[in-house]
Amino acid sequence: MLLFDHVSKCFGDLRAVDDLSFELEAGEVFGLLGPNGAGKTTAINMAVGLLEPDEGVVRFADEAFDRNPRDAENRRSLGLAPQSIALYEQISGADNLRFFGRLHGLRASDLEERVAACLDFADLTDVGKKVVSKYSGGMQRRLNLAVAIIHDPELVLLDEPTVGVDPQSRNAIFERVEQLRDEAKQIVYTTHYMEEAQRLCDRVAILDRGRLMALDTVPALIEAHGGPGNLVVHHGNDEDRHETTDPLGTLAELQARHAVDHFQYLPPNLETVFLNLTGRALRD
Amino acid sequence: MSTIVTMALKDIRLLFRDRLSLFFVLLWPLTMAIFFGAMFAGQGSGPESVPVALADEDRTAGSERFAARLAELEGLAVEAVPRERGLDLIRRAQAPVLVTLQPGFGAALDNPFVTTPRLEMAVDPRQIAVAGMVRGLLLESAGAELADLMADPDRMAAANAANRSGIAALPPSAARDEFLTFLDTTPRISSLLEELGIGGATAAATRGGAPLEVEQTAVQAEQRGPTNAYATTFPQAMIWALIGGAASFSLSLTLERSRGTLLRLLVSPTTARQVLASKALAALATSVAVTTALIALGIAAFGVEPSSYPLLALAVLCGAICFSGLTMAFSVLGSTEGGTAGVSWGVMLPMSLLGGVMFPLFLMPLWMQHLSNVSPMKWALLALEGAVWRGFTPVEMILPCSVLVLIGVLAFSFGASRLRWSAD
Repeated sequence: MLLFDHVSKCFGDLRAVDDLSFELEAGEVFGLLGPNGAGKTTAINMAVGLLEPDEGVVRFADEAFDRNPRDAENRRSLGLAPQSIALYEQISGADNLRFFGRLHGLRASDLEERVAACLDFADLTDVGKKVVSKYSGGMQRRLNLAVAIIHDPELVLLDEPTVGVDPQSRNAIFERVEQLRDEAKQIVYTTHYMEEAQRLCDRVAILDRGRLMALDTVPALIEAHGGPGNLVVHHGNDEDRHETTDPLGTLAELQARHAVDHFQYLPPNLETVFLNLTGRALRD
Repeated sequence: MSTIVTMALKDIRLLFRDRLSLFFVLLWPLTMAIFFGAMFAGQGSGPESVPVALADEDRTAGSERFAARLAELEGLAVEAVPRERGLDLIRRAQAPVLVTLQPGFGAALDNPFVTTPRLEMAVDPRQIAVAGMVRGLLLESAGAELADLMADPDRMAAANAANRSGIAALPPSAARDEFLTFLDTTPRISSLLEELGIGGATAAATRGGAPLEVEQTAVQAEQRGPTNAYATTFPQAMIWALIGGAASFSLSLTLERSRGTLLRLLVSPTTARQVLASKALAALATSVAVTTALIALGIAAFGVEPSSYPLLALAVLCGAICFSGLTMAFSVLGSTEGGTAGVSWGVMLPMSLLGGVMFPLFLMPLWMQHLSNVSPMKWALLALEGAVWRGFTPVEMILPCSVLVLIGVLAFSFGASRLRWSAD
C-alpha cells in the first residue's frame, strides 16, 4: 500500500533521506531501525504528507487506487502516533479522543463507540474522564497511541512510541502493537531499539545517515549480515570470548583444553547486523 | 567564581535568545522613551497646541478681542466655528473643548464691575485634564483683560460712566456717595463694590475669586442625559479585552506546534487554512463574548447607556474581526511561545500608546496624531465610543468600522500566507 520510490530529502546541506525505496506488504509490521539522525522521522513525515520529497515519489497505491499522501481521503486511512506526546493536557483522555475522532468525521454513536474502544485498547477506561495532565508518562504514551487509531485506520505509523517510558509501560505498548497486528493493520514502526524491531517487526529496513543499508525479515538480515555468534566462557577468574558459527563444537574444543566453569552463547542479532553494515554500534 | 560567571553569561545569552524578554528589557523602555520624548518635547520644537473650537455668538468688539487674545496664546490652537460644528468636532473626538462666547459676553468683559463675564465650555469627557488646562488659560486671559481695562483710563472712564447712573439710583448711603465720588479711583473700587454688595469680576478678583465664570458641560451629557464616567471607561476596557484576547490567542498556534498537536491536526483530513480559520473563529467568538459581557456589565451595573445598540453591536463585531485577524498575523510570526508573545505585545503596546488608549491623542504632536491612524486601537476606540456615547450616526460609523474590517482581513490574509504548511 505505502510505496517509497527512490525518495530523497535534504535540509540545507544535510541529506536526511537518501534514495530510500521500499514497499509495504499487506498486514505486516514494517520496522525502520536506525540511530538518531538516521532519517526515520523524516521518512514518516513524508509518508503522511507533512514533507514533500526532493526526489522520488511517495504514494499510497494498490489495484484500486493511487493517492498522494496529502489527499484528504488518504489521511482518513492512516493514523500517526508522533514521537513526542501530542495531546491536549488540559482536557480529558476521552475528550482528546472525541476531538480527533470528530476531525476524522466520526459522529454520534460511532464516535462514542470508537472512544470507548480506544480507551479500552489503551487500558484507560477507568481514567478516561480525567484530564491528561494527571496521567502518568506511560498512560500518556498509551493514549498517544490510541489517538492514532481513533478513526480505525488501515495503516498506523508509530514513530518511536516507547521513547522515555519505563520497561513495564514499554511492554504494555508492545502488547498494543501486537494487538493491532492481530487486527491486520499495516504498521510502520520506527525505533532505535534493536530488541523492539526484533520482537515486533516482520521486516526491518536498517537506515543510517539517511541511507537504506539493508531490508529484509529479521532472520534473513541476521543470516546475511549478522556474522558469527559469540561464545563467552568463564574458567577460574578468566573470561574468554570466541566468535563461532558452531557454539557446541567450539565449547567441546575449549573443554578439551581446560575446565569451563560456565558459558554463555550470544547469537548474532540486529545490533551485530548494524555493526557489520556500518562499522558503528546502533547506539553510537 | 568562574562557575557563577559561566552561569551568568549563560543566562544573558538566553535572554538575548528570548525575544519576549528582550523586548521588555530593551525595546519597550526604548519605545516609551521615544514616545514620551516625542509627546512632551515635540522633538525640540516646543509643546504642541491643544486644539480648541471657539464659537463667538456675541460678535461684539469685546468678544472678538477676547477671541483674538485666546488665539495668540501659546498652547492653544483656536479654530473659530459655529457652535453646532464645535459640538460635532467633540463628538468625533477631533477637538477636546468648545468655548462658546454667549451674547452679552463682550459687554460684561468691558464693564466687569457689575456683571461677571460668563462663557460656556463643552468638553470631551475623556479629555478632562485637557479641559482643566484650557480653563486655566481662559482665566488667565480674563485676568489679562481686566488688567488691561484697569490700566486704560479711557475704557475705565467709559465703564464708570455707564455704571454711574445705575449707582446713583441706589438708595442714598455714605458708601454710595463715596463710591460716586471716587468711582474713578481704581484701587478702591473693589472694596466699595463689595460693601455695596454689587459684586463683579473686579470684586471677585480682589477677593481672590475668579474674574471669569466658566460653565462647563460634557457634550454627551448635553445630548444623551446625565454624564456617566463609565460610558468613557468601558469602551477603553473593551479595547484592553480585545488586546488581551489577541495576545493570548496568538500563542495558540505556537502552543499547538510546541506540544505536537499541530502535527496531528495537519495529518488529519483538514487543511492548514482550516486550522488557521478555526483559530481565527475562536478568537473572534471570544472577543465578541468578552466585549459583549463587559458592556453588558457596564449597562446593567454602572449605568452606561449606549446611544445605539445596533451600532454598538456593529462596533463590537468589527473590533473583534480586526483583532482576530491580528491574532492570526502574530501567531505565524513567532516559532516559540516567547517569540510569538514578544511579537504580539511588541506591536500592540506601541499601537495602544499611539492609538490614544493610554493617553489622549491631543497631548501628542501633530505628526503623531496623524501617525495614530495606523493604530487599530484608535479606530476600535472611536467605533465603540461612537456607539456608546458619541452618538455617531450610521454614516459616521462607516469609516472606523471599515478600517477595522480592512485591517482584520489583511492581517488574516498575511497569517494564512505565512502559515507553515509542513511540520519542520
